[in-house]
Amino acid sequence: MFEYIPYIVSQIAQPFNLVLLFAATVIGLIFGAIPGLSGTLAVMLFMPLTYSMQAGPAVIFLIALWVGGCSGAFIGSVLLGIPGSASAVATCWDGYPMAQNGKAGKALAIGMVASFLGTFLSALFAALLSQKIADIAFAMGPWEYFSLCFVAITMVLAISKGNMFKGLASAAIGLLFASVGFSPIDAEPRFVFDNMYLMSGLGMTVVLIGIFGVARIVEEYGKGFGALPEVDTKSIKGLGITIKEIMSQGVNIVRSFLIGLGIGFLPGMGAGLSNLVAYSSAKNASKTPEQFGHGCPDGIWASEVSNNAAIGGSMIPMAALGIPGDSTTALLIGALTIHGLEMGPMVFKNSGNVVYLMFATVMVCAIVVLVLQALGMRVFPLILKVPYHYMYPALIIISFVSAYVDSSSLYKCGMMLVFVIIGILMSYGGLPTAPLILAFILGPTLESNMLKSFQYSGTAVTFFTRPISCIFMIIGIACVFSPVLRMAMEKMKGKKA
Amino acid sequence: MKIKRDQLTGAVLVLLGIVVFLMTTTFSIPITASYPGPRMLPSIAAFGFVVCGLGIFVEGTMSKKEEKTFLVKEGWIRVLLTLVVIAAYIAGMTVVGYLITTPIILYVLTTMFAKGSKTTIKGRVIFSVAVAVIIYVIYVFAFGLTLPAGMLFD
Repeated sequence: MFEYIPYIVSQIAQPFNLVLLFAATVIGLIFGAIPGLSGTLAVMLFMPLTYSMQAGPAVIFLIALWVGGCSGAFIGSVLLGIPGSASAVATCWDGYPMAQNGKAGKALAIGMVASFLGTFLSALFAALLSQKIADIAFAMGPWEYFSLCFVAITMVLAISKGNMFKGLASAAIGLLFASVGFSPIDAEPRFVFDNMYLMSGLGMTVVLIGIFGVARIVEEYGKGFGALPEVDTKSIKGLGITIKEIMSQGVNIVRSFLIGLGIGFLPGMGAGLSNLVAYSSAKNASKTPEQFGHGCPDGIWASEVSNNAAIGGSMIPMAALGIPGDSTTALLIGALTIHGLEMGPMVFKNSGNVVYLMFATVMVCAIVVLVLQALGMRVFPLILKVPYHYMYPALIIISFVSAYVDSSSLYKCGMMLVFVIIGILMSYGGLPTAPLILAFILGPTLESNMLKSFQYSGTAVTFFTRPISCIFMIIGIACVFSPVLRMAMEKMKGKKA
Repeated sequence: MKIKRDQLTGAVLVLLGIVVFLMTTTFSIPITASYPGPRMLPSIAAFGFVVCGLGIFVEGTMSKKEEKTFLVKEGWIRVLLTLVVIAAYIAGMTVVGYLITTPIILYVLTTMFAKGSKTTIKGRVIFSVAVAVIIYVIYVFAFGLTLPAGMLFD
């Protein structure tokens, strides 16, 4: 690990890479802060910019977008009561009341420090643990990889609120999109209609930006933009937080950090869940739970430490196994493949320098975010005042430019328009997008490992005779049926009561 | 009887499942117990569509909850208009390229999206030109990528 330090320093210290890092962090912060946008969307939109870059700058740019996006989400939660993204939902519950009580500065300061601690320490843990996990992963065969991919997709279904059928249907759409093009191993053309643009499959940029980005903007416009939110920046004075206050939150910070790291590590889960679990754990452990929801600092600490700790947590399976912890890491795996980095246990041998650059970039970004937020505490809230009629048209244009850059072809722009329409129709039908993203990105890995498994053993039974694979398969199947199991358990409880 | 949104979604998914399944039957390598081949993944998707479609349809039929309106008529018109503008953008880029089409489309979109807000024509024109130029400079000069020049200027 330490042998890569000269490479990491040489990459991060390059003036061009430093500019990239700062610019991407600021863009990420803006995307994270504005409700409706997210760091994931920022990674999607700007990913094609990295195609012409070397692996080092590309990693720095993408990671900075991601970290900025995760760290900026609390700004909207504190000042508007609307989370910048799902990772900061629990931050709203105490951050907003605290701001309403005239302590916006303190709430923002807690958010900054908590985000920094979560991000920095989790990246450190990821750097220390990933190699160990990768060593274990060498013992895994295609059966285990298939079942891991299966768990990653089904876990999203288990935690997604609402209709199980809709979550599964969304995952099925993702699998169908992943099937387009030549099949792995057998090279059978599927759903290509003799069109050369479909032979290599549907591009990630086109599908994901179309469905996840542009479709949402068009739909928002259809619903009608609300008035711009009122942002109170008058009560933001100084950092308003002391070392003593941070130390007094020690237990809460450690607990929330471990929750974030653990949930981030689980395939298919991430900051969207960790902040809710950490918040309820902090509330349950508190001597004054009645203060939660009324501007209690403990709630903000718990939510912000845990959602940022999920960054490092999700990087461990991403690097060591090539399995994404959440939808952003799924995107990153796809983006890094374009730069010749096949994530998984072998990556430490083949491109260890770039992997450790990834962890180091997260740590540097955590520091940059902290400094930027501390210096721009009065400025960043103004992000929330950017008028929709300027922001959204610019994003639409960037989306279509990204589609063009993806393959230097306007055909891809036309394809993206089709996916915008599909995205709107999915929203009309109430189908969630997260299962589609994971199934689409994991589809090829899932399929190639499934086919390899059959080539080696010639039977499906092996998935259940190999212990690790069997455990994952059982978890995956349980996740698919979890809504039914949950309903049955609730009925039983109701009968007992 | 009014068709519920979930009923429509379910029916479309079932239909999609059937179409996908029929298409997989044209693949040359068949599914066998010892090797599922390239038909397996799309078949799983097709199976998922049919099962989930039926589930959504039945749940939608049984549900007594009032469905929220997704978009009012004016909303659908706005959505359709935006899609038409985007299609025009792609056609425009094909013919006259990025630099001419983008400021025009940006102006049209900002004007559409700004309806009811206080903006000036001058402000929207400056914004449209500035954003188009900034994107061009970043993509072409900073990252060495190409943007469409248009058939007329190729």
